[in-house]
Order: sequence, then structure tokens, then C-alpha cells
Amino acid sequence: MKKKLISMMLTAAMVASLCACGGDDSASSNTDNTQNTGGDASAANSEEQPAGGQETQEAQAPEGATTIEVWTNDRHDLEYVESMIDQYNQSNADGIFINLSVITEDYQNMLALAYNGGTAPDVVGANSLPLNTFADTGILDPLNEYIDADETFQKVNEPYEHAYEGLNLRNGNIYGVYSGMRSGVRVEYNKDLVEAAGYTEIPTKLEDYIDMAKAITEQGGGDTYGIGFTSSSPFERLLEMSAQVSGVFYYDYVNGKYDFSGYREILELGQRFISEDIAYPDQQAVDNMRALFAEGQFALWSNASQEAAVFTDQIPVKDFEWGVAPVPSVTGEIKGALQTTPSKSWGIVSSSEKKDQAWKVIQYFQSEEFIKGYLENGYCLPISTYMDGVIDKSKIGRLADFSMLEYESVYPQPPVINLTGDDYRVVFWNAVMDYVDIDDAIEDLSTRYNEALDADVASGATKRLVISDYDPLHPNNGTMTYLEE
Amino acid sequence: MQKTNKGKMKISRDGLVAGLMLTPALIFLIVCSIYPFIWIFRYICYDYNGFTATFTGTRNITRMLGDKTFWNSVGHTFEYAAYKLIFIIPLSLLMAVLLNMRMKGSNLFRGMYFMPTIISTSISGMIFAFIFATKNGIANSILMDMGVIDSPIKWLMSRDWVMVTVTIMAIWGGLGNYMLYFTTGMNGLSEDVYESAKIDGANGVQTFFRITLPMLSPVLKVVLMLAITSAFKDYEAIMVLSKGGPGNRSMVMFLYIYNLIFGATDSTSQAQIGYGALLSIMAALIVGTVTIIYNIVAKKLDDVV
Repeated sequence: MKKKLISMMLTAAMVASLCACGGDDSASSNTDNTQNTGGDASAANSEEQPAGGQETQEAQAPEGATTIEVWTNDRHDLEYVESMIDQYNQSNADGIFINLSVITEDYQNMLALAYNGGTAPDVVGANSLPLNTFADTGILDPLNEYIDADETFQKVNEPYEHAYEGLNLRNGNIYGVYSGMRSGVRVEYNKDLVEAAGYTEIPTKLEDYIDMAKAITEQGGGDTYGIGFTSSSPFERLLEMSAQVSGVFYYDYVNGKYDFSGYREILELGQRFISEDIAYPDQQAVDNMRALFAEGQFALWSNASQEAAVFTDQIPVKDFEWGVAPVPSVTGEIKGALQTTPSKSWGIVSSSEKKDQAWKVIQYFQSEEFIKGYLENGYCLPISTYMDGVIDKSKIGRLADFSMLEYESVYPQPPVINLTGDDYRVVFWNAVMDYVDIDDAIEDLSTRYNEALDADVASGATKRLVISDYDPLHPNNGTMTYLEE
Repeated sequence: MQKTNKGKMKISRDGLVAGLMLTPALIFLIVCSIYPFIWIFRYICYDYNGFTATFTGTRNITRMLGDKTFWNSVGHTFEYAAYKLIFIIPLSLLMAVLLNMRMKGSNLFRGMYFMPTIISTSISGMIFAFIFATKNGIANSILMDMGVIDSPIKWLMSRDWVMVTVTIMAIWGGLGNYMLYFTTGMNGLSEDVYESAKIDGANGVQTFFRITLPMLSPVLKVVLMLAITSAFKDYEAIMVLSKGGPGNRSMVMFLYIYNLIFGATDSTSQAQIGYGALLSIMAALIVGTVTIIYNIVAKKLDDVV
């Protein structure tokens, strides 16, 4: 009897632990969704691990209406998007019924499989679809003709001003128009800790910024630290952006090759965070580090505009005031553009037999009414000047602190290559941590990246992008040519 | 003569039935196992990102030979497997022997030790990340309270310690499983032998080395083979706990391959299914060779014993 009882208890405990695992999974998916809140999905690669498969709206199409199938991989804005679709379906003005499916897992492969199997939707969320796989293979259709014929759409979205080579534009063809953007990286700081160390504002020069972090760590006496780094792409979240605004980029657009030599100074400065024990001793997952920041364990954190929602809703900062400042550059001067990430674009799948109706759906998704509500809900920042003037900024909360800077822009997509070995972000962070020598790291990266580029260009897998009149402050404005050698 | 024909007919009918009964399993084997295996070979000479495949001849092979990250990860895999096996097999055997003594509460402990096996690896990876945090980590605070260490150990942030940390987690996660194999093996041993040993006056240690261990050797052989292959294929827990870092110190070969095929989260490179497929074949060859060597050694030891 006793044995039976123990066995039953053990079984119950095992089942409970299994349930707990399941619970944790859903909890983590919530976290991920909230991470996307306020930012777009595409650039938050390192944070974007949405869980769950496919969700489809279960409403029925009214008789006589044409059903347009829409797929998206954004779940963070679902509440708003679904309510607007319901509104549209109820009014049914164009005789169209929108059927939305949310595919958060393996979106790209699911879409490719559906396309090859003849079951692809008509309209797809396109901001996370790489052009080299979805446009060059003919899965997405260019939208130029539709855009050119629609002046209202042009006025609201400014499609040609916000067309970015390699992202939504290829050879003059636009495959999706962005209706929002995520800001570039900013410094989020704990005002109490910064002021306690004798600083009233965030230095614009990287060396001074490190000195400030050091002063805060010293002041903390082992309890609080000057700065915290995450284990998830740490180089990208501060030092790479400092390099960008200092005019250093890893792809030499003028000569059409990779060049990592400009990073030496940044890396040497970055090493101070570790060698002088300035940084918080652990580098954990993004949410853990955010929680530590919100707990006041360290003063300086850096990430893009999604932090507005994170520090107000997801992991609210309650015990201190937090500020937002631009990332520092090497000299304090701005010599290059800061990378932003455009978001929320829609594309038409080439297999669709209802392309005109599909465009009508996109027109609705990118109408002034739809985007205004979307932006005022704080899902992302406006990308067009027109919408920037239309929205009520008092409704967007702390997102207003992340408004676009003069020198923010989108870099043309460097050639996508088949690299052997570690990515430059990994290698450079290893150099900051002093696991590899800086000069060795630079030489290794330049060799491996250019070998891969040369081989991929030779095999025809990619093309060499050259911008002869490249301007680091306006990287997207030059004359772009693709070379096959 | 007629009799023989009848016999033949019977055999062929039996064969037909057997064939029919085997067909579903055979189809599954071909579709789920043999076809994917052949599929892997199809892309080893291609750059394939899941959408477009470009023929590159022998380039992937040249890349593999010069890929320092991969060969270092192979070294780390051997190191990790060695650490894991050295501790997990003796420990699980010891646990199984102790719990087989039918002491009070042994079933409860058996359940407790087995529980980590059913917890999702990614969840336990996250829990261990908290336990082994440098600041505010439970492991450091216990060790410091006990006076074992003066300053916190950088379990996951130091290249000297990260292998220790992932090994501890691997042992915790796998101990119950191997313990269960050994317990099952021991249940099959005859009680008579133990009784006669007891009558002969053998003590616990003698019984273990002279009776339990030799009689358990067939099970031990299988368990060791399973442990070796699984230790070489482990990567999920490491992926969650340390992401292969710091400085690639805990990068094992299957984690590197996973990152290549599915694309690492913070990579600027694209998914490399062709190159990843080639490395998978190389990894399979490495694991296969180790297993063959183990089988040869085990057989030789059998002959000696």
C-alpha cells in the first residue's frame, strides 16, 4: 500500500514537472512576444524565437466575397491587427474577406513549402523575408505597378524614399513597402546611478563613456556595476553601433569587399570593460539582463526601441528613472549612419490568382487609418514623414524617446555569403573578452569573409555590391551596382 | 514430389505474409531513415540555403579541412564526452547498486534521480544558468558560505570553468537514465548466486566486484556504447547554457553543425545546409569510428576475461 502510494506520488510529481516544462515554454513564448513589442520582428534576430505553430482566424467568409489568405509571423501586434481585420471583414466594402494566419515557427520554410506545394497565401508579411531567397526565386511579385497607380498609398507610405537595396528593393523592383521602423541602438541608463557617480549626461565619446561606467562600478563597490552585456550578440548592441556612428562598417562598399581593419580602436577600447572589471560579471540571456537593469544592478544598457515597451510593461522599471541617449562614437563626432530596421511590410505571392484583391488588402493594411492606430499603439516608430506628422505622439509613451535621429539610416544589404567558421560579431566579442588577439581576429575575418565572397561570386551564388559614390552618413543614397566577378 | 510442392507453396505463402507485415515498417524505414540519409549526400557538393543550391564541386571538402572552428569543436566534443563518461558511468552504477539494496525509501530516491531525465533540456539549461551565475548564483553562494572558495567562480564566463559546468549539468541530466539501465540489468541477476555468496561469507564489496560486476558486464557493455554515442551527440543543453562559449570553449561539433544548418541567431551568414551536411557525415564517421573502436576493445576484454 505504502509502495503504491509512493509510486503514485512520484508519478504525480513527474507529470507535474512535465506540465511545469510546458508552462515554462508558454511563458517563454510570452516573453519573446513582448520582446517584439514596440520593435519590428526582423532585426531582433537574436531575441526573436517565437514559439507556437499556426493560428488561423476562424470566421467564415460571407457568400460572394473573395477570400484573401494572409500570412504573418508577427504575433506581438496581433490584437490590433485582428481587430482591424474584423472591422474590414464586417464592413466588407471591397467584397473581400481577409483570412489571417499567424505562423510564428519556421515562417520562411513554411512559406516556401506552401509555395512549392501550391497552397501559398495571397499576401504575406514580407519584412523578414530575405530577397535573395524570396525575390530572386520569384516567390514574391514586384509591387511597382500597383504603387505607381496609387497616389494615396505613395503619400502615406513614401515607398520610394524608404526603399532599401537588398532589403525590399532589388534592381529597381520593390517587393514590400515598410510602414514602420525600429530605431537604431540607444543607451538606456539608470539616472540615479549615473548621477551618483557625478554625471549629468551620457558622454558622446566612447572613452569618456567607459570612464563613466568605471566610475559607477567603483562607486558600487561590488553591488552595482557601470554596464551590463548580454550573451546574445553583445558586440552588436553597443560597440558595433559605436563603430557605425564613427564611420566604420564591415563591408567596403566602394571596393566591393569585406574590410574589418577599421574596428581596431573600438575593440581596444571595448576591452577595457572586461580587463578593468567594469562590466557586470555575468553575460546572460537578454531578458535576464533586462531584469537585472530594472533591478538597478547596473547603470548602462543598450538596445533599440523595443526597450520602451519592455521597461514599461514587460519588465517595468519602478525604483528609478531611466533615460535614453545616443550611442557614443570614438571621437564624439558623428561620421557614419546608425543602422535602423524598417518593419511591417506586406508582399504579394506570385502564385496568387487574386492579385488585384491582394493589393486591395495591402492598401488597407497600409492605409492612414490602419497605420495611425498601429503606431499609436506603440508597436513601432513611423517611417514616413507623412505618418510622423499624423500620429498623436502623446499616445506612444516612452517610444517617443527613441524618435529617429538625423543620422539614422538603413545600410544596403552586403552580399549574403557562405562563411566558414565564426561570424564577425562572435570573433570581435571574443577579442573584446581577450580570448583572441585583435590583429589576429581582424586578419582572420578579412581572409575568411573575402575568401567566401570570392568563391560565392565565382560560383554565381551571390553578386558583389559596389557603391562607387558611397557616403557613410547616407549609405543608401549612392549608385549601386552588382558585379558578377 | 507433390508433398515437396505443397511445402514450397506453404513457404512462399508464409513469405508473402511476412513480407506484407513487414511492408509498413519497411516504408517508414525508407521514408524516415534511408531517404534522409541519401538526401544528406545529395547536397555535400552544393551551397544550399534551403531555397537555391549552387554546385561548388569539392569546395566544401576543402573548407572542412581548413575549418579551425570545426576541428576545435571536435576536440571539445572528445573532451566533453570523456569528462561525462568518466563520472556518469561509475556514479550511475554506484547509485543503482545502492538503490538495489532495497533500503527504505529507495523507490523515492530512484524516482528523484530519474526525474532530471524527463525535464526538458532547454528548461534545465535555463535553470543551470541561474544556478551557475557568477553574481547571485546559488552554486557560488553555497561554496562561499561553506568556505570552499573566497571569490565567486566564473562558471559560465571563464574558459577554464565552462567545461566543468556543462559536465555537471550533463551528469545531472543523464545519471537517472543510466541508473535505470543498470537497475534493470541487476533485476535480471539470479538471487541464488547472491545467497550462495552470502553463505560463503562474501562482504558487500566482494559481492559487487566478484558477482554483480561480472554478471552485469553484458548490460554494462551496451550502456557504455549508448553513453559514448549520446555523449558525442549532446548539444542541446550546451546550446542553452553557454551557447558554445565563452570564446567557443564549449562549442561541440553538433552545436556547430546545428548553427550552420539552421543559422545561428546572431549570424550574418546564411543557412549552409550543404556544408552542414558534409560536416554531419564527418561527425557521424567520427562517432562511428569511436563506437567501433570501443566494440573491438570490449570484445578483446571479453576474451581476456
